[in-house]
Amino acid sequence: MGAATRNVAIVGGGHAKWGERDATWKDLAQEGGKATFDAVPDIGPEDIEGLFVGTVQPERFAYQTHVAPMVAELLGIDVDAMIARTELACASGQAALRYAWLAIAAGQLDCALVLGVEKMNLGRERMPEMQGSMSNVLDREFDGVNGLTAPPFFAWYAQRHMHEHGTTRDQLSLVAAKNKNNAATTDFAQFRTEVDPADVTESPEIAPPLHLYDCSGITDGAAGTILMSEEKAREVTDTAAWIVGSGQSSMAGNSINNLPSFSGWPQARTASRTAYEQAGIEDPLAEIDVAEVHDCFSISEIIEYEELGFADRGEGGQFIEDGRSRLDGDVAVNPRGGLLGCGHPLGATGVSQALEITNQFKGTVPRDRLVDGAETGLIHNLSGSGSVHSVMVFDRDPK
Amino acid sequence: MTDTDRFDDDSTAIDREPTRERVSVPTEIELPRLLDFYELQTDNHTRIHAFYDNLREGRLTTTRCLDCEEIHFPPRIVCPECTGDDLEYVDLPHEGELYAFSAVRGGLPIGLREHDVPYVVAVVDLGPVRLSARVDGATHDDLEIGDPVTLKIVEIDGPTDEERVFYRFEPVPDGDSA
Ligand SMILES: [Zn+2]
Repeated sequence: MGAATRNVAIVGGGHAKWGERDATWKDLAQEGGKATFDAVPDIGPEDIEGLFVGTVQPERFAYQTHVAPMVAELLGIDVDAMIARTELACASGQAALRYAWLAIAAGQLDCALVLGVEKMNLGRERMPEMQGSMSNVLDREFDGVNGLTAPPFFAWYAQRHMHEHGTTRDQLSLVAAKNKNNAATTDFAQFRTEVDPADVTESPEIAPPLHLYDCSGITDGAAGTILMSEEKAREVTDTAAWIVGSGQSSMAGNSINNLPSFSGWPQARTASRTAYEQAGIEDPLAEIDVAEVHDCFSISEIIEYEELGFADRGEGGQFIEDGRSRLDGDVAVNPRGGLLGCGHPLGATGVSQALEITNQFKGTVPRDRLVDGAETGLIHNLSGSGSVHSVMVFDRDPK
Repeated sequence: MTDTDRFDDDSTAIDREPTRERVSVPTEIELPRLLDFYELQTDNHTRIHAFYDNLREGRLTTTRCLDCEEIHFPPRIVCPECTGDDLEYVDLPHEGELYAFSAVRGGLPIGLREHDVPYVVAVVDLGPVRLSARVDGATHDDLEIGDPVTLKIVEIDGPTDEERVFYRFEPVPDGDSA
């Protein structure tokens, strides 16, 4: 089965600066929108037929709902085909990309803006309010109520992966250091300081065995991309990221009792196999050159090597130890710096990942993190309790 | 006439100071209902009130489907296996094993500020189900995967007048394991 009926390309986009920003949700949306239109000079607000806004909790973080029309107004977009806000926790941006792709592939529109925006920092003294909103991503009545936020949840996966597969604390540190060092050349990133693997366990312990540097940030930010049908994309660019496969899987589990595993994500395996089949990929390690995966915590990336088919089950720790996910390895994983280096403004993350793949194909990322000759890339995001996994595959040439 | 012309026009020049008045917003409010992490537990609020009624009496229970025999957790009103709604409450074991655990050192959500940090939060394997729970009476370094833990019930004070309870676990004392 082909991925879709019409070829769809990401032609470019831009970022707001990410970090602890002295800026509102609306400010970030405007900055991300402007950066996107600036990066694609042939496209302006008047060309946008569909608008998809990925954002998780503007209701709680910014006390604002019905945000898609707000973005349309702020950016002067007179939507005449489709407008939506997508919420899929940490994969909200990727969900927005998926819907924009489907709308264009189905012939409903030719040009869409996908904008991911999140405002998370309310000031250090108001962190408990933000943390409360994060606990509610889980089943609040039975799981969030235990004060269960993301760090202890992913610490369970680290503990079980170490217990079942012998993964080491040092291997977790190698992931964190790789991604933070990759982020050094990423101009919008929240964390651009290079770290040694030894620094990771010197950083404060957050939820054992995880330390601060094993954890992605609490980040304000925005990222936007322009998606176009093949006919229209050819008019504005020679190089784009063509969406050739897209899969998702939930396995009907969300609360703790109903998750299929605490050392793996079979949902990621299923979602990636769907995307690979659509894209005609048979050997992901050999065929995928660059991957932006959801390293919300260092352990996540190790499990993802396995589930995305880069390493055998239980061998993810060895995969990083052997340097196979470095920029010069078999598959360059998180050249942008991942969530660990760039930060994780929830709704913006998936959009930023897709833009990194696009810019890798265009050759417009700094030389230090350019993956030479990259032809095929993917993005992966998990959401909430890892209950849903989403995978999208891109190619330099439409099939 | 352009916009610039309009604002340069002397006829719209500011000729009086605007009126000023000070208004205030409250500095403290009661914890809003939707920032109270614990569910309202009685039959006028939830259709799984029997779960909470049983817990208040000292029994950890959940629903089982009378059509397909599936055991659910959390308790349901519709069976996700067969969509039947003929369910009964059955007892769960009160003793289980630590399947995974970590500790919360800080970053507590608003509404849970009464919790003392650090505390242990775990996946407890009860056999028929695995659930997340706090583990009291132990530090992270005291524990190992597989350690036996037993049910503890906490009564929730405030912010409503309703009697509310929740489950936690604690280590089984040495030599006391079933
Ligand atoms: Zn049933």
